[in-house]
Amino acid sequence: MGKKVFLGMSGGVDSALSCALLVEQGFDVTAVYMRNWSKDLPGFKCPWAEDLADAERVAVKLGVDLEVWDCEKEYKETVADYLVDAYAHGYTPNPDVMCNQTVKFGTFAERAFKEGADLIATGHYARTAPALTDGGPARLLRSADEHKDQTYFLWRVPGTTFNRVLFPVGGYSSKTDVRAACAERHLGIETKPDSDGICFIGPVGIRTFLLDTLEKRAGDIVEWETGKVLGHHEGAFLFTVGQRKGLDLGGGPARYVVATDTKENVVYVTADKMCPGLWTKEHTLEDCHWIPGTAPEAGECLVRTRHTGPLREARLSVSEDGKSATVSFTEPVRTVAPGQSAVIYRGLECVGGGIIAPDPVMKPRI
Amino acid sequence: MDATKEIYLDYAAATPVAPSVLRAMLPYMSDMFYNPSAPYRLARKAKADYEEARSRLAHEIGAKPDNLIICAGATEANNLAINSAEGRVLVLATEHESVLAAAEAKDHALIPVHRDGRVDMETLEKLLTPEVGLISISLANGEIGTIQPIRDIAKLVAERRQSRLAAGGKMPLWLHTDASQAVNALAINVASLHVDMLTLSAAKIYGPKQVGLLWAEDGIAIKPLLQGGGQEGGVRSGTENVAGAVGFACALEEATAHRTQEAKREQKLRDRLQKELLERFPWAEVEGPKKAKLRLPGLLHISFPGLEARRLVILLEDRGVSVGTGSACAASRMRESHVLEAIGAAPAVADGSLRITLGAPVTEEDIEEAAARIGNAVEEEARRRGLDPRTGKAA
Repeated sequence: MGKKVFLGMSGGVDSALSCALLVEQGFDVTAVYMRNWSKDLPGFKCPWAEDLADAERVAVKLGVDLEVWDCEKEYKETVADYLVDAYAHGYTPNPDVMCNQTVKFGTFAERAFKEGADLIATGHYARTAPALTDGGPARLLRSADEHKDQTYFLWRVPGTTFNRVLFPVGGYSSKTDVRAACAERHLGIETKPDSDGICFIGPVGIRTFLLDTLEKRAGDIVEWETGKVLGHHEGAFLFTVGQRKGLDLGGGPARYVVATDTKENVVYVTADKMCPGLWTKEHTLEDCHWIPGTAPEAGECLVRTRHTGPLREARLSVSEDGKSATVSFTEPVRTVAPGQSAVIYRGLECVGGGIIAPDPVMKPRI
Repeated sequence: MDATKEIYLDYAAATPVAPSVLRAMLPYMSDMFYNPSAPYRLARKAKADYEEARSRLAHEIGAKPDNLIICAGATEANNLAINSAEGRVLVLATEHESVLAAAEAKDHALIPVHRDGRVDMETLEKLLTPEVGLISISLANGEIGTIQPIRDIAKLVAERRQSRLAAGGKMPLWLHTDASQAVNALAINVASLHVDMLTLSAAKIYGPKQVGLLWAEDGIAIKPLLQGGGQEGGVRSGTENVAGAVGFACALEEATAHRTQEAKREQKLRDRLQKELLERFPWAEVEGPKKAKLRLPGLLHISFPGLEARRLVILLEDRGVSVGTGSACAASRMRESHVLEAIGAAPAVADGSLRITLGAPVTEEDIEEAAARIGNAVEEEARRRGLDPRTGKAA
């Protein structure tokens, strides 16, 4: 028997193919379905029972054991609660980043290694490269398929964990190839659609989700330039910088959210596409994490501020303690909602990143 | 036998509508589509046919037609019964989810069962305090097939009712039984069962889904769950399901006519399947009472401890055999079946258990073939788990 691998299996196409590939490569595979927390909301139907059944079918087909691990508590506490809390404070977080840090490469990894795994694997589109120094942390690289690359969600995972991680589909150059490889192996899953959105929110949408926990609070929608009240909203926490839809200002030009003040419960908007609140030449990053364990040297880098977003050239400088950083661009870029992740690359390598801080320029000016 | 033939062995979950039942129903979906409450001749004919169906249903269970509430299946009938209770409700721990969930909304207690699923009469006697207004115990359990001593329970209820009355107590005491899983095996006569309320479903007896009935003794005020046009004596609003009621009546008549013979036939097939599987896997465990008389004849609840039923179902599906695992509800919610928990089955037994239920279309050949396919799937999975298929222990 080969090395013992615990594979996170979701019932989707990518982890199904990962399982098949690991089996073919001679690993001793144990598949694990992580049962996540989901909210009991009207209109919300968590598909997990069907996903589990799909995962089970693939596991049976490949002759692999499938275990079901209850990750509800970790998920609720470190992902769902974090999400609500961040929104309440005017941030727009990436729950997937948290989920990977605390659930998949946190709880799952720890338990797998405790139960005797030599390695863990997931169906992420990402690649790893060996450590540069003997015994040092492995490096995280973007996947061969630049469109599907998921390293954006992995920047908070330490490099020492990647030493023991396999990404079996990271080398595939397109999702079409992945689906074809599933079909070739008769896994019966190749036509299953990609999942998107936040799994525990699903089709009800973030608004319904937040309003189940946070109280509605009537407030004003104010024009940034003039301070004029243009309309009303049901809670500033429901709005995100850059948002255009859902303002309900009754006609007029398209307006964009340029800032939200969750304390005073005000949403600032502008009709001016060139409004300084919508553009910036730098992002301040907080709560930074560096995959190798130490901050990278200042200098040129590539930055990505949303999953599958463009990789932009920028200049990086990091604070002495490594906890905060600044990325500066030569040309102005669209501002990004505070709370989103900015992920830093050097070439193909993902070196870490930080959480985008609120734009100091956009403090209310009344 | 054709090795690719699909063999369906989950009749406790759903039965196909019998051709005769379907034929009887079809006119009411087209030519006779009228609303039975409308005043003109054509609608009055639909109404008359509906009421005739009610009479036929009543006749089959020895009841008066006026005491029948035709509704959308056993779940609704159970909810109607429990929702109408005054005082505390006692329900058997192994009842269907619809009974348990309806009881949860009230002051309630669970009646424990023995290892074979039979009611714990001693505890029931203790639980039967003056606050209790309703007891709900199914005639037969759909998961492990246990048949309950409903007449003994009815006797106890009658005694308590008497003494309650003698002591000047005003609280009524009713006995409800969900007989939906029992119809194919047991005679259903409300008078001889001595119950006060009874649930039946068309879906388990080769009739349509979403059709059922609640029979309630004179003097029991059923509280409506739905408000509206006041159909079914104001207890169940909504345009009458004429096709459903007619189909239900046909299905119940046929079930009654064939019951003795069919139950005997299914029991023979079930025993054969059980014997073959136990011979091949002596370590397998069969749940439910040992005595054939106390167990539904067409049901085999068999567990292969150490194996996972979830996987066996997939392996069997690949081999063209459809069976259930535990209860359908438990399977989708991924927790141990409450029935197996109530009887105190070990977790390994619960995880490895299949519910195999037979029905009228199942032939001797099917059972022979199913035994082979199930045997092969169990053997394959046991080997993969490193177990000796003969002993169920690590090889």
